[in-house]
Amino acid sequence: MKKILLLFLLLFTVTVAISQTKVVTGKVTDQKDGSALPGVTVAVKGSPTIGIQTDVNGSYRLSVPVDAKSLIFRFIGYKDAELPINGTVINTQLVVNPKQLTEVVVVGYGTQKRQNITGSISSISSKEVEGTPVTSLEQAIQGRSAGVNIQANNGKLGQGIKVSIRGQASISAGTQPLVVLDGIVLNQGNLSGISADSNPLADINFNDIDSYEILKDASASAIYGARASNGVILLTTKKGKAGKSKINFSAQFGSSKPSRHKQFLNSDQYLQILRRAAIGAGKLDFANQDPTDPDYATVEDAIADEQDFVEGRFTRYAAGSTNYNAVNTNWEKLAYQDAPQSQYDLNITGGNDKTTYYIGGQYLDQKGILIANSLKRYSGRMNLTTKVFNNLEMGMNLNFTSSLNKRLSSDNQFSTPMQIVALSPITPVIDPRSGLLSGSLPGAASSYPVYYNPLLDVDNAYYHTTIYRTLGNIYANWQVLKHLSIRSEFGVDQTNQNEDSYYGRLTFRNTTQENGSGENTNSSIIHYTVNNYATYKNTFGDHSLDVTGGMSYEYSHFVGNDVQGQQFPSDAYKQIQSAAVISAGSSTQNEYSFVSYFARANYAYKSKYLLSVSARTDASSRFGANNRYGFFPAASAGWILSQEDFLKNSNILSNLKLKASYGLTGNAEIGNYSPLGLFSGDAGYNGAAGQRYFQIANPNLKWETTAQIDAGVEFGFFNNRFSGEFDYYRKNTRDLLLNVNIPGTLGIATQTQNLGKLYNQGVELTLSADVLVGKFKWTTSINGAYNKNVVTDVKGQILGTNDLNRVIEGQPIGVFYGREYAGVDPNNGDALYYVNTKDANGNLNRGTTNDYNVAQNVVLGNPTPKFTGGFTNTFAFAGFDLSVTLQGAAGNKIFAGGGQYMSASSSNGFDNQTVDQMDYWDHPGQITNVPEPRLFYSNGTNASSRYLSSGSYIRCKTVMFGYNIPKNILSKIKLERARVFMNAYNLFLITKYKGWDPEVNADYQASNINLGVDFYSAPQPRTITFGVNVGL
Amino acid sequence: MKKNRSIYITAICTVLMLTACNKQLDLKPHQQIEQDQAILTSRDVQITLVGAYNRLGQSDLYGGGVELYPDLLASQSVMRWQGTYQELTQIVGQTIPNDNTYTAALWLDAYEVINQTNNVLANIEKADEDIRADISGQAKFLRGLVYFDLVRLFGRSYNDGSPTVNLGVPIVLTPTKVVDESSKVSRATVEQVYQQAIADLKDAEATMDKPSQASAILARLYLQKGDYVNAVIEADKVLGSGDYTLVKPYSAEFPNTGGHVDNTSEDIFSLQVTTQQGNNSLNTYYASADNGGRGDIIIRDSFLEEFETGDERLNVYNLDSDDILRVSKFDNLYGNVRVARLAEMYLIRAEGNLRLNTATGDTPKNDVNAIRNRAGLGDLATVTIADVLAERRHELAFEGGFFLHDAKRLALNVGVLPYNSPKLVFPIPLREINANPNLKQNEGYGQ
Repeated sequence: MKKILLLFLLLFTVTVAISQTKVVTGKVTDQKDGSALPGVTVAVKGSPTIGIQTDVNGSYRLSVPVDAKSLIFRFIGYKDAELPINGTVINTQLVVNPKQLTEVVVVGYGTQKRQNITGSISSISSKEVEGTPVTSLEQAIQGRSAGVNIQANNGKLGQGIKVSIRGQASISAGTQPLVVLDGIVLNQGNLSGISADSNPLADINFNDIDSYEILKDASASAIYGARASNGVILLTTKKGKAGKSKINFSAQFGSSKPSRHKQFLNSDQYLQILRRAAIGAGKLDFANQDPTDPDYATVEDAIADEQDFVEGRFTRYAAGSTNYNAVNTNWEKLAYQDAPQSQYDLNITGGNDKTTYYIGGQYLDQKGILIANSLKRYSGRMNLTTKVFNNLEMGMNLNFTSSLNKRLSSDNQFSTPMQIVALSPITPVIDPRSGLLSGSLPGAASSYPVYYNPLLDVDNAYYHTTIYRTLGNIYANWQVLKHLSIRSEFGVDQTNQNEDSYYGRLTFRNTTQENGSGENTNSSIIHYTVNNYATYKNTFGDHSLDVTGGMSYEYSHFVGNDVQGQQFPSDAYKQIQSAAVISAGSSTQNEYSFVSYFARANYAYKSKYLLSVSARTDASSRFGANNRYGFFPAASAGWILSQEDFLKNSNILSNLKLKASYGLTGNAEIGNYSPLGLFSGDAGYNGAAGQRYFQIANPNLKWETTAQIDAGVEFGFFNNRFSGEFDYYRKNTRDLLLNVNIPGTLGIATQTQNLGKLYNQGVELTLSADVLVGKFKWTTSINGAYNKNVVTDVKGQILGTNDLNRVIEGQPIGVFYGREYAGVDPNNGDALYYVNTKDANGNLNRGTTNDYNVAQNVVLGNPTPKFTGGFTNTFAFAGFDLSVTLQGAAGNKIFAGGGQYMSASSSNGFDNQTVDQMDYWDHPGQITNVPEPRLFYSNGTNASSRYLSSGSYIRCKTVMFGYNIPKNILSKIKLERARVFMNAYNLFLITKYKGWDPEVNADYQASNINLGVDFYSAPQPRTITFGVNVGL
Repeated sequence: MKKNRSIYITAICTVLMLTACNKQLDLKPHQQIEQDQAILTSRDVQITLVGAYNRLGQSDLYGGGVELYPDLLASQSVMRWQGTYQELTQIVGQTIPNDNTYTAALWLDAYEVINQTNNVLANIEKADEDIRADISGQAKFLRGLVYFDLVRLFGRSYNDGSPTVNLGVPIVLTPTKVVDESSKVSRATVEQVYQQAIADLKDAEATMDKPSQASAILARLYLQKGDYVNAVIEADKVLGSGDYTLVKPYSAEFPNTGGHVDNTSEDIFSLQVTTQQGNNSLNTYYASADNGGRGDIIIRDSFLEEFETGDERLNVYNLDSDDILRVSKFDNLYGNVRVARLAEMYLIRAEGNLRLNTATGDTPKNDVNAIRNRAGLGDLATVTIADVLAERRHELAFEGGFFLHDAKRLALNVGVLPYNSPKLVFPIPLREINANPNLKQNEGYGQ
């Protein structure tokens, strides 16, 4: 204590010692338009402690020692200026730094100058994506960064989004990148109570985010060690700036529509194909009889029987009318609703030289394009930083979000709006017999219409997910010595979620409950992160060194409970308190922790030879004592050729940097207790408690490891007016944490083992240019990536559980593998498949068969795009600005999982069909690809390449068009800034894909392996909004 | 001064760095317990047995699959399938691909039960003496039952070629601890699996508190393999026990209260279903939406025309509100799934006695007439094998794969397929073949 007092005394003395001073004043303005620049740091050269920031008018007043020679003016985004102190008034203009080579980039546990970075890091600034009319940040940054493939499952609000950075590096463990917000690891666990994932990042108001850094290679990400195999996304929120308080308000309003529709049969077509299907079925009924005991004497009898059956169904589905085609309902259009949205953002920033703050708030009210889907979000953030002492900075970032997502059933449920397309066009929306919605009681609601009518859910069911999420951290940064600082931070991400649902009487056909059913689920996660680390930065002549070392501790605890009830007194009572039968209840908890130690050293010689090494040791509760620790080192080197004498003075080449890195990262995203052999106490029977064998032990389970090599070049020409970056990488993943199929005779299906290898290899290219500067500005930026994913070793296993997605050696993860469709036998209308058996010489039998079981499974296509990219053009002229981003993917296939119902030539029931099914085989000799309709005889409807098609697309992702009201007008109304704008999201789509949307993966089954499946999945919304942005 | 400061820094850093220790890393599950702690006491053995019943009642096993799938394969002449679950349509179409997920799940669930019973039996000494015999008997009953159904579904029929050569299913009798080469068990022969099932069921019959449950399955098993002597003996044990009586009227055997119903006096063994536990997938597929099902199975009029006038068994075939003829036996959403009931025992004893020309227990005529009378039909003066089989068909229809299993043991056609068509044997699931190369695939299915 005494020592600390002495320390303060010392500091005080130092301050007092500077007594001989003079006062300098001045104003700093922007060279571009002469406007005042507040917040510019003005300091005496050689004495950085003597400094101040300019006020709102750009003015400063600084006492400087009489012997001070010159002043340095620094402001982010502008070139530094140095002016000699040759008077008492020193005004200056700062010049915008065109390409921010000196830009500071957030890296793991610290920051680094862009120019000194030897790893591969993509940065996206808030300016590029702010105000995008979407729910979550991944949607906003889609197409903005090379090698970052972002794919929504469907067009429902707040649903799961798959993000893969440089391909998918795991089969059974997690594949989403680690997301770190202001140093705190975010909860990424999906808490959805239904099979469709929700998106935990949808709780984040991305307008609070200042920058997105995407760590792609091992050098950049290995500091996150075992958490980094899938890349890391670092989010940094906006911080306050010294100067006058600034208020920024924006509001936008608009609406969404489905970006695409799909055509189904009209009533006449529906009747025609089903009548033909009756004939097809009757022929088979006759042929399949027991010859010793036939039911039908002639084939005509069998057909007549089927025809009676089908005509009877027509009467039923036409609401009892025999004038079947009097009604022609386009059910597909009824799945959608008018989808207005509004969004209000308000933020206030300011502060003085000691304390700065950012206060941000948002209210977002979106309706989804699907009936009854909506999302509301309230978000508030307060970021506060204060210098307690000159050398001790403390701060707190706190965010609170509340959201209400009115969710829909999963894609495979009769009640999800898109399944409405299965209903017959001859069915009226309103049943004329009752005047009520078709499928309502009273009436034959159990079999009319053909399936449960999802429109009944709108007024008779709800599923509300309410989330309260608190994200916050407090930190202290102590500048211990001139070159040494220690930072300590403690962060919490607490998510509390309630899911409340009720299904009323009219939904009985979907729920099996005639007197209502309800469910209420609470889930909460509390997730702590503690980081303590020290940073040492110093320069010794030509050598500069930057060393960081420390530890981190992470702990996450999930607690959940659930109760389900049945038998409600009436639909007016919707809480389970009223349920006469409590049909299920449970409480669950689980937890995990990580303890990690990390270190990194960056060294530069003459600012042109760069070297970086890092290492991290992770220990996790998820692994057994045998293999608890994992070690993840990385190294990288860079050479800035443009700093060499032979290039330094080039007028053309302004930047050229070569870089390479190699390192290891890990993956531990598996179940929390995977190494243990377990029994579970959830096996009761008839009211008696029981336990069951649950999990087979694997005490040797260890980390999945990815070794990544990266080599790249960064270049800039004409003072970086044209610049770019090219990277090659290869990621070899070994000791895959794989859920291995074990013999079912063990009484258990899988064991998590370290088995197998895979790699991702690819190239990334980013180019940007200021094509036109001056009054008419045009900047363009294009990014493209190619990735090849190959599973090299899974010990010959074939993994996968859905229709066609499999894991097979030599193929990409989730490759489509199954029977190859060979069209239709012109003679009889049978669906044909290629036999594809191999003979002793390895020759493929390309003969065809109508027996699905005879045809062999073969590789049919890749569900993951090989090429992804984005293309952004920004124009500005006389206050107008326009930014257009195109985004696309190519080289993948999509499996129409719903094809077996909707494109089945009516061979699988009374579902309405897509219009292409009218090309069905009708008579011998006919050449077509659509088999003969045979009701319930599944002619060609089994999973095969018949339902595969290309998923390549280019989409106009965002268009932002705005007009900045001139300052001379604004000054009259005392506004600093005002902009009116229009945003368009998913404006148009170019694709050959016949479904609703090529950006798809059916939500109920989406997983690492189940990729590229379309199953009644809603298209992306096309959203257009108009808004204003006002600053004062 | 500076030196002291360095000491502070070092000390603070050290404390910060070492705040973590292994205690933070030793996190145990909350919802499960470790295997070596799971079965220590008598109570633990009991709850493991309860777990076996829980697993037995899974929807792909005795919660409906074991009863439904064989009937889907063999009853096209009596029902019309209008379901849209493609992989069930494959079974109806008698072209089951080797990766059909329903048959694969049945296999997995069956071995879950077997492993569960093996855990009980391996720890049986821990059970208190007064309950040990019954627990052991119940575990063997469940294991024998499952092996019998597995071999009927995944192996060729006992009367098809040589059961000592034809392959059945792998036999596993020890609890799972690790995965290694010994886990890759080959298929035993049909005969070996039958013998295992018989041994288990015989032990069960000798020790369990409700021996009739084992006797009933044994009677069914012996009938299936054509051992009429033993079939009669076992059926007679059940009938002679006096524990069960036929329910009148017939439809009362299939009560629909909308909730759990305890076993009727006729039920010998059924999987209990409550609103909270158990599954009834027969309801899902047979019952209409009025009763909580999908109503995928329509009964053909021609089947009802087989019944005699006045047969009260017709009362369980009804037009639902949608005017579709369905079987009402499974209309109770929370109804138990019946595995065996007394009527079958009468018919097994009658058929066996008739074939053996004996009258063990009672005459075939009396046994058949007992069934007929309960159904509101008059006595037959004389009884033939055809009469017994007709009664079986009408009495037990849709209750447990009798359409397939009877066709096989009687060597009757199933549609155009002969009883021994490879298409009427389930494929060994592709998943299993991939995980265990020692498994040989059935004829007619791709490896």
